[in-house]
Amino acid sequence: MATAAMGGGFVNVMKSVDHIVRGNGVSLLVKAAPTSTSGNFFVSLKRRGWQLYCSNSNSDSYLKLRDEELMRQCEMETFKASGPGGQHRNKRESAVRIKHLPTGIVAQAVEDRSQHKNRASALARLRTLIALKVRNPVPLRTYSPPAELLQILPPNSTLRASHSGPQIGPNNPKFVLGMQALLDLIFAVEGSVSEAAKFLGMSTGALSRLILSDGSLWMAVNELRASKGLKPLK
Amino acid sequence: MMKLRLSGLSCGVCANFRRPISLCYSNSISSSSAEVKPKIPLYLRPLSFSASLSELTQWHKWAKNLASSVGSSFVHLDNGPDSTLLRRELNWLLQDLLELQHHSAILSHLESGNSENVDVSVALRAPLEELYCVWRQRIEERRPFQYVVGCEHWRDLVLSVQEGVLIPRPETEMIIDLVENVALNKFPELAKGFWADLGTGSGAIAIATARTLSTHAHAHGRVIATDLSPVAIAVAAFNVQIYGLQDVVEVRKGSWFEPLKDVRGKLAGVLSNPPYVPSGDISGLQAEVGQHEPKLALDGGISGTSDLLHLIDGAASMLKPGGFFALETNGEKQSKFLVDYIENDKPGSFCNINIVSDFAGIQRFVMGFRQ
Ligand SMILES: C[S@@+](CC[C@H](N)C(=O)[O-])C[C@H]1O[C@@H](n2cnc3c(N)ncnc32)[C@H](O)[C@@H]1O
Repeated sequence: MATAAMGGGFVNVMKSVDHIVRGNGVSLLVKAAPTSTSGNFFVSLKRRGWQLYCSNSNSDSYLKLRDEELMRQCEMETFKASGPGGQHRNKRESAVRIKHLPTGIVAQAVEDRSQHKNRASALARLRTLIALKVRNPVPLRTYSPPAELLQILPPNSTLRASHSGPQIGPNNPKFVLGMQALLDLIFAVEGSVSEAAKFLGMSTGALSRLILSDGSLWMAVNELRASKGLKPLK
Repeated sequence: MMKLRLSGLSCGVCANFRRPISLCYSNSISSSSAEVKPKIPLYLRPLSFSASLSELTQWHKWAKNLASSVGSSFVHLDNGPDSTLLRRELNWLLQDLLELQHHSAILSHLESGNSENVDVSVALRAPLEELYCVWRQRIEERRPFQYVVGCEHWRDLVLSVQEGVLIPRPETEMIIDLVENVALNKFPELAKGFWADLGTGSGAIAIATARTLSTHAHAHGRVIATDLSPVAIAVAAFNVQIYGLQDVVEVRKGSWFEPLKDVRGKLAGVLSNPPYVPSGDISGLQAEVGQHEPKLALDGGISGTSDLLHLIDGAASMLKPGGFFALETNGEKQSKFLVDYIENDKPGSFCNINIVSDFAGIQRFVMGFRQ
């Protein structure tokens, strides 16, 4: 889906923009602080090609950033144009690739007909990837599910009953936040779906059904279980 | 989503577009001053034609093979498109040709090579013969894809384009970001003033600016779009109408600031992507550009800067104090040349002059404020 084969390289434009940003405060593209000074530390657990970033501060806040704020933590690259571009060129190469500097996560989009839309698609993909890949610590002893997680639970969760509002599905942009909170919990309970279900006041079966309802969530849970030596969820 | 207001189109225009011949053989528009009728882009035409799924599959196979036969020969020839890009364009052509809700189902059928349901009839916005004809033009004559389908996707807009009007470029999308992030966010009162888009072409900058102005609270900002080309004037007016912005964007015919005498010294913003290709470079341009797009839109004189300099001079007298300007250039050398010109020849006229790079890292834009 996201990535199409691309022949040429991407060019990094940050250097050229950097001086303008410092020069007059124009913040179209701003260089984010290097990872070493960002206050988070990332442990990368490479298992079966799956990379997990664990942070000690709330990196769930990445997803709470507005698009412009999140974009400011990113390097944006466009398809390298050979030659002078602009009026010289008509190639419809409006591919966009963005790299989230604090985590190194990369998302790109190429299939849309305008660069503007490709940027929006790449940013939406980045949000999903952050939700799937960045794990935040969860204090299990005092755990109560955050509102964004309650929103994605089915109505029969006992905890959810106290909170009104319809269940949010995978097509809603807010689903990503709930998905991240759910994965944080499952990570904290070492991949056990039944343990996680207890914290959410629902049956193991109901939680399994929720996980299976979204392909990428399902895969993320299985990757996480695999990293803890558990069997995949079917 | 996009609001379409088709009621304003005259019947004559529609009838024009039912005749495949008008799309297929009109490769150039005469620059006579007779009123130009804008063409209806493929995606806005009615679904008045049909073909069986097997006929469509046959056309698609042929078109794909033709695209593949190009390989990277155009890339070597004049830095033109390769087959990967041409095949992507073929999918976009199908997107515009078919009913939106059936597009993905039909596309996956075409891709699968599956021979079921071949007798099913598919509704089309153009007859199959025309599709053979235009795809051959795309590959053999290097007719730009956007002229074939009659539109270009630019920012969140779908703009009609046709021979005689420059196809808006992705680089230019960033001018609107400059208007938003540099001008309006810092000086919200600019949203209430008059803005000018000089050499508006399809109307891209003017329309996107008008939409940006209207997102600012109590804005009554207006945009005046000018162009010398009658085709550009007709197409820009058509696009303004499609977006229902007749009350916000006014299209005026004439050379640069000449039709703007009534707002001299009053403009809140001056925006332009004028012709900036040095005359000597025109013959070496990729065929889609050099052989099909209007010279009037590309040729910026010997060094490419004659119109840019004229626009700087004009901006000095047309902008009100604190007014904003942003100009697109050919990059690096031209941008530096303009900044030197502003600093040495227009001392005291402008402040906060900056060069901004486009997304490929080329120093593409010069912007600043009237002192
Ligand atoms: C590079 S095109 C830009 C079109 C459009 N603004 C865009 O960005 O897609 C330059 C435009 O300037 C127009 N133009 C050329 N000479 C002009 C003049 N003397 N006065 C007004 N417009 C002119 C051309 O017709 C053309 O539409």
